[in-house]
Amino acid sequence: MTTATNRRVTAPTQPPGPEKQKKKRLTFTGGLMAPGVAVLALLSILPFIALVVMSFSTVQLLGGVRLSWAGLDNWSRALADPDMWSSWLKTIIFLGATLGLEMVLGIGLALLLHRVTRGRGLLLSLILLPMFVAPVIVGLLGRYLTDSTFGLYAWLLNQMGWEGDILGGTTSAFVAVVLMDVWEWTPLVALITLAGLSSVNPSTMEAASLDGAGYWRSLQHIVFPSISGILLVALLIRAMDAVRYYDIIFVTTNGGPADATKIIPIRLFENAFRFFDLGYAATIGLMMLVLTILIAQGFVRVLARKD
Amino acid sequence: MSTTTADARPTRKSTGTNVLVGVLVVIALLWTLVPLVWMLAGSFKNSSDVTASSPVWFFEPTLDNYTSLFSGPNNLTPYLWHSLVAAGCAAIFSLVLGTLAGYGLANSTMRNKHHLSFWIISTRMAPIAAVILPLFLMFRLAGLIDTLPGLILAYMTFNLPFAIWLMSAFFSDIPPSIEESALVAGCSRWQAFWHVVLPLSKAGLVTTGVLCLVFAWNDYAFATVFAGPSSQTLPIAASQLVTQTGIDWGQLTAIGTIVVLPMILAGLAVRRWLVTGLTLGAVTGE
Repeated sequence: MTTATNRRVTAPTQPPGPEKQKKKRLTFTGGLMAPGVAVLALLSILPFIALVVMSFSTVQLLGGVRLSWAGLDNWSRALADPDMWSSWLKTIIFLGATLGLEMVLGIGLALLLHRVTRGRGLLLSLILLPMFVAPVIVGLLGRYLTDSTFGLYAWLLNQMGWEGDILGGTTSAFVAVVLMDVWEWTPLVALITLAGLSSVNPSTMEAASLDGAGYWRSLQHIVFPSISGILLVALLIRAMDAVRYYDIIFVTTNGGPADATKIIPIRLFENAFRFFDLGYAATIGLMMLVLTILIAQGFVRVLARKD
Repeated sequence: MSTTTADARPTRKSTGTNVLVGVLVVIALLWTLVPLVWMLAGSFKNSSDVTASSPVWFFEPTLDNYTSLFSGPNNLTPYLWHSLVAAGCAAIFSLVLGTLAGYGLANSTMRNKHHLSFWIISTRMAPIAAVILPLFLMFRLAGLIDTLPGLILAYMTFNLPFAIWLMSAFFSDIPPSIEESALVAGCSRWQAFWHVVLPLSKAGLVTTGVLCLVFAWNDYAFATVFAGPSSQTLPIAASQLVTQTGIDWGQLTAIGTIVVLPMILAGLAVRRWLVTGLTLGAVTGE
């Protein structure tokens, strides 16, 4: 109220400076953005147009790249392809399993670390290590650990009475690649949640405990509501990356055994670079793009709510 | 008053919970560290120990795996060089362009700014498999397959939008009054940015640079399609040890260690800002 009247009073006395300055500011920021945005446009809009065109074409690679118009062939084939839909189903199960486990374990880990007072810094550093490991190394290391003749984890399972080839069975292979992803990315969820927990006012948490509310009830009524925004950020960040990366499956099972782990990016890759059916692969790529754009929209909306 | 009760609380609370916390921490540490320790140990084992049917806990460490990686006709040096150049250049170019554009974006007053931001973030999040396809055709037409510039461009498809978005988030955290007082003191807009704002953003610059480096260094998907004999990177070298006839796990664990160790050190160096960096500025930590 007061600021509004103030502005009204001072406005007429001010020279027409601000307007001029605003215009100058615009060109300055525009000039700074120009090179980056130009390169980004080259690296994203051009490929996007190419991807759309490819999805309506038959792409030939031999004897120079040639595109020939195929109309809606790729799209109608994709929509009628039961294999592709089963890949989507596996993708959804894979996303559900990895994101679910990572959120639950990550939140649990953060609550645990939050309770540790001595040496928390060192502990957190150690817990974070898997995040920096290249996913392809996670996959290869997973193969080393689960190998049926010399794998450490295979040996452990053997001692406990479970026998068989972990990456050879359909269910166990799926569980294994899910757990490799969980191993790598649970620390990220824990890290984000921990940042949220540190921002919860300790006295509100303390008051809850003093009121006689049990640990679980104080979590449910005080802690989770106040960090729900941050948890959503963690979920969306993980969801976007889980659709992006497929390195782990690529080097462990490559979609097998019997298509058990053939999630959608693996199928795309197979169509593009084994069958060289790039037009069809582009159709799958556009479907994936729609999914990530929806997730990104959610992410931006959460950010806007924070501001 | 309440603080004293709070201080007394942990001791009053049965040691049972403390034991439970301790046990859970140990389990979490084992789950996290055993694979890494096993990889490191494997890289120092001889060929029979590394694939022994029952785990070998104690062994005489040998450097054979590392020395054989760096000797012979198919040695690792060029791969290491390609990785360094591709990841390093992609990180530096992205950081420079991203810092300028990020500052512009943070201070821009343009009307459709949110559309621009959304385009930038969706570029960062685009599925790699969907990006590779059109780039593969474009690179073939432009003769960029199996070249380091091609790899650098490919890595910039995700690092550049990441750098723009993240630097913009870091710049938004700097109070505008600092920049305004520099302008009042007679600085030009550029001088205010270069001499005042940029030195205040060192943490942001280092974090963004390190994360760009980690993302590019760790890439495998792009390199499998775009890299050839004259541009293969370390992750490709690792996967090439997997052959039909068998896998040399000693060498593989050694390459794994070489790939992982520098990134762990770089990542931990910016731990304080990791939350901000990895959530693209959505969450600020500590």
